[in-house]
Formats: sequence, C-alpha cells, structure tokens
Amino acid sequence: MRHAILKTTAVAGLAVLLAACGGGSSAPGGGTTSSGEPSEGAFPDLSGQTISVDAVWTGAEQETFQKLMSDFESKTGAKFNYTSTGDQIATVLGTKVQGGSPPDVAILPQPGLLNQFAKAGNLQPLSDEASAAVDANYSPIWKELGSVDGKAYGVWVDASNKSTVWYNTKEFDNAGISSEPQTWEDFLAAGKTLADAGVKVPVSIGGADGWTLTDWFENVYLRSAGADKYDQLSTHDIKWTDPSVEEALKTLAQLFGDKTLIGDPNRALQVDFPTSVTNTFSANPSSAIVFEGSFVAGVISSSTPSKVGTDAKWFPFPSINGSSPSVVGGGDVAVAFKDTPGAKAFLQYLATPEAAALMVSTGSFTSANKNLDPSAYPDDNSRAVGQAIVDAGDNFRFDMSDLAPPAFGGTKGAGEWKDLQDFLANPNNIQGTMKQLEADAAAAFK
Amino acid sequence: MSVEAGPRVVRSGSGSPRRGVAARLVGAVGGGVVSVVLVLVAIFWLIPTVGLLVASLRSETDNTSSGWWTVVTAPAQLTVANYESILANPAIVRSFFNTIYITVPATLLVVIIGALAAYAFAWVEFPGRDWVFLLVVALLVVPIQVALIPVARLYGALDIFGSIPSVVFFHVAFGLPFAIFLLRNFFAGIPRDLLEAARMDGAGEWAVFRRVVLPLGLPAIASLGIFQFLWVWNDLLVALVFADSRSAPLTVELQSQVRQFGSNIDILAPGAFLSMIVPLIVFFAFQRYFVQGVLAGSVK
Amino acid sequence: MAVDATGTATGGGAAAAVPPPGTGGRRRQVPWLGLLFLAPALILLGALVLYPIVFSIVRSLFDAGGETFVGLGNYGRMFTDHDTLIALRNNVIWVVVAPTIATALGLIFAVLTERIRWATAFKALIFMPMAVSFLATGVIFRLVYDQDPAKGVANAVVVSVHDLFNKSSEYPGAFPRDKKALPAHDGGYETAKPVAAGTPAMLPLVGFPPAQLPDSATQAKAAEPSSGLSGTVWLDFKPGGGGTSGVIDPGEKGMPGVVVQAVRDGSVVATATTADDGTFHFDSLSGGAYTLLLPQSNFAEPFNGVLWLGPTLVTPAIIASYIWIYAGFAMVLIAAGLASIPRDTLEAARVDGATEWQVFRRVTMPLLSPVLVVVFVTLVINVLKIFDLVYIMAPGSVQAEANVLALQMWLVSFGGGNDFGFGSAIGVFLFLLVIPAMAFNIRRFVGER
Repeated sequence: MRHAILKTTAVAGLAVLLAACGGGSSAPGGGTTSSGEPSEGAFPDLSGQTISVDAVWTGAEQETFQKLMSDFESKTGAKFNYTSTGDQIATVLGTKVQGGSPPDVAILPQPGLLNQFAKAGNLQPLSDEASAAVDANYSPIWKELGSVDGKAYGVWVDASNKSTVWYNTKEFDNAGISSEPQTWEDFLAAGKTLADAGVKVPVSIGGADGWTLTDWFENVYLRSAGADKYDQLSTHDIKWTDPSVEEALKTLAQLFGDKTLIGDPNRALQVDFPTSVTNTFSANPSSAIVFEGSFVAGVISSSTPSKVGTDAKWFPFPSINGSSPSVVGGGDVAVAFKDTPGAKAFLQYLATPEAAALMVSTGSFTSANKNLDPSAYPDDNSRAVGQAIVDAGDNFRFDMSDLAPPAFGGTKGAGEWKDLQDFLANPNNIQGTMKQLEADAAAAFK
Repeated sequence: MSVEAGPRVVRSGSGSPRRGVAARLVGAVGGGVVSVVLVLVAIFWLIPTVGLLVASLRSETDNTSSGWWTVVTAPAQLTVANYESILANPAIVRSFFNTIYITVPATLLVVIIGALAAYAFAWVEFPGRDWVFLLVVALLVVPIQVALIPVARLYGALDIFGSIPSVVFFHVAFGLPFAIFLLRNFFAGIPRDLLEAARMDGAGEWAVFRRVVLPLGLPAIASLGIFQFLWVWNDLLVALVFADSRSAPLTVELQSQVRQFGSNIDILAPGAFLSMIVPLIVFFAFQRYFVQGVLAGSVK
Repeated sequence: MAVDATGTATGGGAAAAVPPPGTGGRRRQVPWLGLLFLAPALILLGALVLYPIVFSIVRSLFDAGGETFVGLGNYGRMFTDHDTLIALRNNVIWVVVAPTIATALGLIFAVLTERIRWATAFKALIFMPMAVSFLATGVIFRLVYDQDPAKGVANAVVVSVHDLFNKSSEYPGAFPRDKKALPAHDGGYETAKPVAAGTPAMLPLVGFPPAQLPDSATQAKAAEPSSGLSGTVWLDFKPGGGGTSGVIDPGEKGMPGVVVQAVRDGSVVATATTADDGTFHFDSLSGGAYTLLLPQSNFAEPFNGVLWLGPTLVTPAIIASYIWIYAGFAMVLIAAGLASIPRDTLEAARVDGATEWQVFRRVTMPLLSPVLVVVFVTLVINVLKIFDLVYIMAPGSVQAEANVLALQMWLVSFGGGNDFGFGSAIGVFLFLLVIPAMAFNIRRFVGER
C-alpha cells in the first residue's frame, strides 16, 4: 500500500516536473511563474489532516484525479478520503448534507448543483488565495460560472469541449470525402455522400440519452442565433417560442428529418451514447459520423478497436451561415462544503496550472486553465481539443442544459431531454416542440 | 390432533419421496412431455444468465461488435481479463470484507430481533397486540427512498453517519417487517401443547423461546435468513448513501469502477458473477431449510 | 385432520382448533417480558421506518424548498401531472399483470417439478435470478433486448425465425442515384418516363456498400443496343468515390440478380434479371410505352427485429424481466405449500373415485389457496415498490412511457427534480395505494384470530 502511494507520487512529481520544464521554455507571458511558483510556498502544512472528497469520477478518471490528490499529499502532508458517487452524486450529497456530514470538498458535474447548494447555504466561498488563483489562471467566464450572487464558490477542475464531430476515417476514404466539412451544408452533403457509398446510418445519434440531443441543439443554436441569444435563452430571458429557436430547430430538422442521414429515428431513440460511438467505430461500423464531446475519445479507446488520431478523427462542429468558431462545453467544478484549511488549500491548488497539467496528463480530461502549457497533454488529439476551448475565448459557452434547473435540463425522460427526443421522433413538429419546451422551461425556471 | 400436526410440520419437507396429487397429475399428463417442457423452460430461464456469463468472458470490444453467442464459432474470444482487472483492485478485496461485515450482522440481527418480536406477537398476550402487529406488517410497503433523508438527519444527530453500523441498522429496520410477518405466522402454528408442556416444567418465557420456539422455528429462520442475506448483499443504494469510503461494500466498489460513458459490460458482468458466488453458496447450503422453512411459515 | 390443515394453512390457524394463544389456561404474569422481546424491533422500526413516514407526510404538505406550506397542493398536482398519471396507469398494469403471471408460473413449475428427478436443480435454476442484483438484471436484459439483432438475443431469435420464412432481398437499402428519373413506386423504383427500345436504359443505383456486392459482379457496361428493351443496373459508386454520377466509370460494377419488370399500362408484361455486368434484356419487347420497374423485392430492408424497449413494448418487456426474477420466488413458496398438503385428504378423495384432475381442482387448489394468496400479496406489495429495474432498463427516450410511481417519486426527489415536497406526496400516495392489499391481509388476519 505504502509502495503504491510512493509510486504514484513519484509519477505525479515527474509529470509536474515535465510540465514545469515545458512551461519554462515556452510560457506565454510568465503566467506559470506568477501563479505556479508562489503557490508552492503558499500551501500550509496539513499533516495529520484528512480531506474528504466526493466526486462522480470512477475508473480511469478517478485514477487521473488520484494523481492530483497524491501531489497535494506530498506538498502538504494532508491525507485524502475519496468517495466516488457515480451518477448518484445529487442523492449522496443531498443526503449527506441533511445528515450533517458533507464531504470537505465535492466535485460537481453541473453548475445547477452548485447553484442549488450555494443557495441553500451549504457551500463555503473561495478563500482569497483560491479566488486569486482562479483570477490568474482562468478567463473571467469561468469565475462567473462558479459564482452565485456575486460570490465565487467553485474552481473548474476540467472543461470538456462538446463541439467535436468524430468520424471514421476509413468510411470517409471509402466514400471519397477528402476534406473535413466546414459548414453545415458541407456536413449534410458529406452525410449524403456516405449514404450513397452504402453507409446505412451515416450520422449516428444517441437518441436514447436526451443529453446528446440537447448538445446537438445547443451547438446549432449557438451558431445560428449567436452568443447573445444563447445567453438569453440559457437564463430563460427569451422564451423557447422565440423565432431564433424555430430557426435552429429547422436547421436541425434538415438532419433529423432525413432518413438517409440518420436512419430510422425510432431506432436512433434506442441507441444510447456509448452505442452511438461504438456503432461508428466498431469492427463492423454501421455509421461514419458521431457528434458529441471530447470524451468520445475515451469510449473509442475503451470499447472499439479503432485508434484515436488514425481511425478516428474529429473536426469542429460546422459553421452555420458563416458563424465564427465557437465552442459549447461543460466541466466539473470543485466546491468546499466545509470551512477547513485543507478544503481551502486544496481548492486553491486545483486552480493552479500544475494541477491542470496533472489533470490533462492522462488524456481523460482537458482543461480551461489558460496558463496550462499545451505540452502537458499526452497526445495531439487532446491538445487540439483543449486548445479549441482556450482559443474560443469569448465564444465559449457553457452547456445550456447544464445551466438550466435540473428538472428542465438534466432529468432522464423529462424536460428538454424528453422534448428533443420527441422532436427527433417527429422533426416536422417544430411548433409543437417549441411550445412543449417553453411549457417545461417555464415550470422549471419558476 | 395438534400434537400430531406439530412434528409433521418439522418433518414434512424433508424430501422423502411422496406421491402427491401433482405427481399423479404429472404421471397422467405423461412424464416425457413434462420433462421436455421443463427442459425448455430451464433453457429459456438460463439464456439471460448464460449471456451475461459469456459477456463477462469477452472483451468490451467484442461485446460491442457482436452477440455473445458468436463464441460458439469463435471461442478464442474468451478471456478472463475482465475478472483479472476487477480483482487487481485492492479495494475490491477490502470491500468484499465490508460486505460481509455489513451482511452478516444485518442478517443475524434481523433474525434475532425479528424472532423475539414474532414470539411476542404470537404467544404473549398484551392489549392492542393485533393492531401493533398489523402496523408492523404494513411497514412492509415503505419504499427505502422515503427514508433516506429523514434517516440521514437522525444519523447526523447521532453522529454515526457513514459508519458500518449505520448501514446495518438501516437494513435491519427495513428487514424487520417481513421477518416479523413470516416468523410470527410460523410461531403461531407451533402446537400450543408443546409450549404449555415446557411452561409446566417451570420454564420462563426466555427458556420457552430458546428451547421450544427457536428449534422448531429453525427452518423458517433459515429461509428468512436467506432472503435477508440476498437483499443486503445486493444492496447498492443504502450503502452508497450511508457508507463512507472506508466502509463501502462490494456493490459500491464495483460501481466505482464503472466508466462514466460506456456499456461497462466488461465491469458489470464479471462484477455480477463475483457478487453472485456467495449468495449462491449460501442458497445451496440452506436450500433444504429454505424450502422447508417457507413451507412451514406459510402452510403447515 | 382436513379442518386442521386448512386452518393452519392460513398462518395463525392453530387458533382455529384451540383457543387463542395466551388467553386460555393459566394466566401468565409476564407481559412485561413479552414487551421486552418486542422492544428492539419497535425501537428500530419506530426510529428508522415509522419516523420517516411521519416525516414524509409532513414534508408532502410543503413546497420543493420545504419552507412554504402548500397544504394538499402537491397531491392536487399529482393528478394533473401528465407523467405521474402515466406512471399511475403503468402501476395498474404492473399490479394486475406481474404478480398474476409470476404466481401462475410458480404454480405450474411447482406442480410439474413434483416428480422429476432433477427437481432441485430446476428449482435452483429458476430461483437463481433472485441472487442477482437489480443492477445486474438490468444489464442482463439490456443485452437480451438490444435492438440490434447482431447483439440482442431476443431479436436474433425473432429475426432468424422471420428469415426462415421470408428471404431477405439482395440489395437492401439501395436507392437510385437520381430519384427524379427513377422515383419510388410501391417500395421499388420505376422509371419516370417510358423507355424506348433500341436505346439501352441506364439505371444507376447507390446506397449499397461496394464491398458487399456478390463476388460474381463484374465491371458494369452498357447493354448492347438491340431491337428489344435493354439496359444496365449498376452501382454508381466505387470504393474511394470519384467518377461522374449517372455514367459508368471504370471500377463501377454491375448489380447482378436485380429483377427488372417491364410495365405497360400499369401491368407487368415481362420480367428479366440482370447479368453479372448489370445488363438486362427484354428481347421480345420492342416499341415504346414501356416503363421499367425495379420492384421492392430487390431492396426490401432486412427485418431488424422488434423494438422491445420501444414506447409500446417497454412495460411488458420490463415486466417479463421482473417475472424472470420472481417466478422462482413464487415457485419455491408454492412447492413448499404443495409438499405440505396432507396425503390422507388426497387419498380420501381418490378412494371416493375422483379423477386426478378433480382431486387437483377440488382438493389441492383450495388447500393451496392460502399460499397462493401469500405469494400474490407479497408480490403486489413488491411490485408497487419497483423502481430501479425500470430506471435501469428503460432507455431515456421511453422512460416516460415506462414510468411507475416509485420511479416518479425517485425522479422528482433525487433524479433531477429536487422537489422533496412533491416526491413525498407521491410516496405517501404509494403508501395509501397499498391499503387495499393491507386491508385484505387484515381481514384475513382478523378472521384467523
């Protein structure tokens, strides 16, 4: 046991060293040093203290996060007590809070949960040091996303890019598609070419999981309606019956309504997200394109014989009516439930580029930390995904459904998830879909 | 009459060859036909489990690209890699013991507390007895989810949140209604003369309970034990909510290996088989008592 | 003897023949000891089960946050909320169907296994699913019901049975390169304009993987002009793309075996089949006014099986998996019941000249009915509490169609809704729903006493 810990610490230390070296040679404007160096000394001695952490991460993702905890252990002497809650994080945390034993730190998969706990007074605001580290290392939008009523509570440990369209290079070669589609029209045309080439379901849609459909909508909407409208719709300042929503749904219906592109929608509604990926990259693929976040890469490696970067590549979500590059993304935010020195220091640590470097070191995660040296990424693919997040700058938008109250944007079989599934089943029903979305949104945003 | 009935209760399920009406009915229908039908049913019932077993012995990549029955033509797919990778996690072994630390006391306590209460409901006269009993049986219907938040508050106040005892108590409380229901019905059927005889000999309530009721109730108790054992062993939700990382049982630890995205058959299938082994051993070990116990509890 | 058997069968039946325990005979001085026996159970039940019920009843009268008193508002909402109503409807289906079938199967299995030598093995096998967690059961049946016949065993069986009787087509999913020249007609494709004899018709198709063409297919070529109707059906796509659409490019192969029909005035006058290079000839047909039809049989999509977890079948499919688990439970209980039926009673009936069936109907079933009732009631209560099986098995897109009250309660309180007020109201309603079952038990119970 002891050996294992020593070993991980050594590996983690090596990774930090590598990241630091990389940073030294090509640091943009010295960001790494300004926030990285002083933080080394800034961490208090926490020997004998235990920090409990609850997070959704399991498996490989948990192992990645373990590296950060080991690193922090070696810096401060604090010990960790990690609990992975799986999908049940809302239940587990809700119950623990009621039971008066919340963890010191929790990593929440949705800003909605952060809002909920912050409003209920369960969270501790960031310490001044942690807040400063966030200011130094993240674009302002990330601090905003971790704040409720002007108070900062959260540190974004990782950020995902949900504007990546993955394709099977063999199928593209077979069909003779030589360039990655840049525009929505190119994209549809590529789908038709694939259909001609005999691909049964050119575009694989994981319709059994409602969140994949909200991601489709959000990407189309951000490009067709623009960032301002996106922000207004996110907060329900404009209604779902707005003409901009109609236009986005019409655009989406060009895809959803074409059986040569997506096959039988009733079957697409039975395909969950992992299956939508394996259908595209298995030994006998029935599809050639699958859209979702950067985490598609993880499913490809774990569940298919395809290799990311050779058999499987991605291009940014196509531009609509000349829209400029933009990214819809998500992320996990660390918050403190208890006002302990360990919790404070750990949040501060999580905001540093060195923590981000460890986080991205396995390829499971990408980071929004702008002072992170890109060389910390283990491969070109994850580097490109991460770079796209940083490059999008002001055009980065957080996943709208994650910002909404969970009853609307985050419940299996209900709200936006269900409404868009019904839309996939019947893409002609644009007006009805808008009305239903508005009715559900109005009830949830009350 | 009752005296005669009593011993029969205990013995009737001993498996001695009998020719009941059903047996004759079967004979009338034709043994061959029946055997064929039952074989078909058995196969039908086995298919899902066999599918899971084979899936647990194939790689995730194979599972996502073809059906499990393709191993018939391509047996090279079979591998124990999934089991190896699960067992490679040292936390699994620890969690296995946690499961035992949770399941064994939770089962024993339910049996003991349930038997005591069932005895009182069956053989001790006190005012309002029937109504209290009915209330207890009615609690059978309370879904676990209803209790999570209130019990969390209670545990918080008692400062036992996260410990193994907190999980055990929860399971015991939710196992008791069924335990009391089953055992009370059984105990009430024990021939009164046996109890009276013991009492004549000067035995107190405790002695009657220990020397007469418990031995006669053994089959019912064994069957209750199995039900309770299975239920606690397979629980995920209660442990997930109330056990902290040090006291997490196997189910929780297995789920923590599950990838956020993916079919996860390569983890869930071997996990299901690993966690099935002990319940099945217990089932086979207690099978005779089990069948007998239930028979004794419901029909005598 | 028979009276005794029937009486005890109800569970408390010793009372039928003798005075209720504890009342007759010598007065015992120890109720306090009895109460002591009860104490641990009552304390645990009170604290961990009863208290939550009271808590829920109170909580159900408040709003989501728990601060505002809303009276019976949450209950009113329950009967206007569409999802909850569907859940209620499904609960009715569940309660009517699942316990009945599970009990019936249990009865049949128990009766049939009475004499077979491998009865223990059979019973263990049927009972085995009880040892599997719901999570694993969900995984098992997601595998069984997978819509893809290549992965789901249910659809694999359905499809192979179907294909025994209906041969699948040669070129499923292929469609014309130019849908204007060759529009859809009854599932096949028919030329928009009449084809003139002497000018070979060009019928380019796409949408079929070149790699899956029959091995015999060769480079497509235009049909030799002749006096009759002729033409070429070919795959206007070669691996790697390229070439001009509508033109036979090098590398594009003919589609052998395509049925081509010549149609005049709406009726088929002749039928031909394409050769390896895709050509076909109607030598006997000359002159104009014929259209060419590629009938549906060439392109019919293969039968892909049933959407078990689709909106219409999802509840029956999940109920089937529940029965898979609980038929064993019912079987073991009923087998035990059968085993305990006194032989004397049966023999007496036989001596009276009853046939085996009459003995079963008239003697066995009545004696068995208390067990059947116990099994049935236990299953009804159990079914009302089902939620994890539905949550795990139903795809998100049909979860609303598969919903049950216990799941709805879970969803509104934990699964994203965070409305503990509404969730508690559903929980309390669920509790109320069980009262008929309990009333039944109470009647039985009081009757025994």
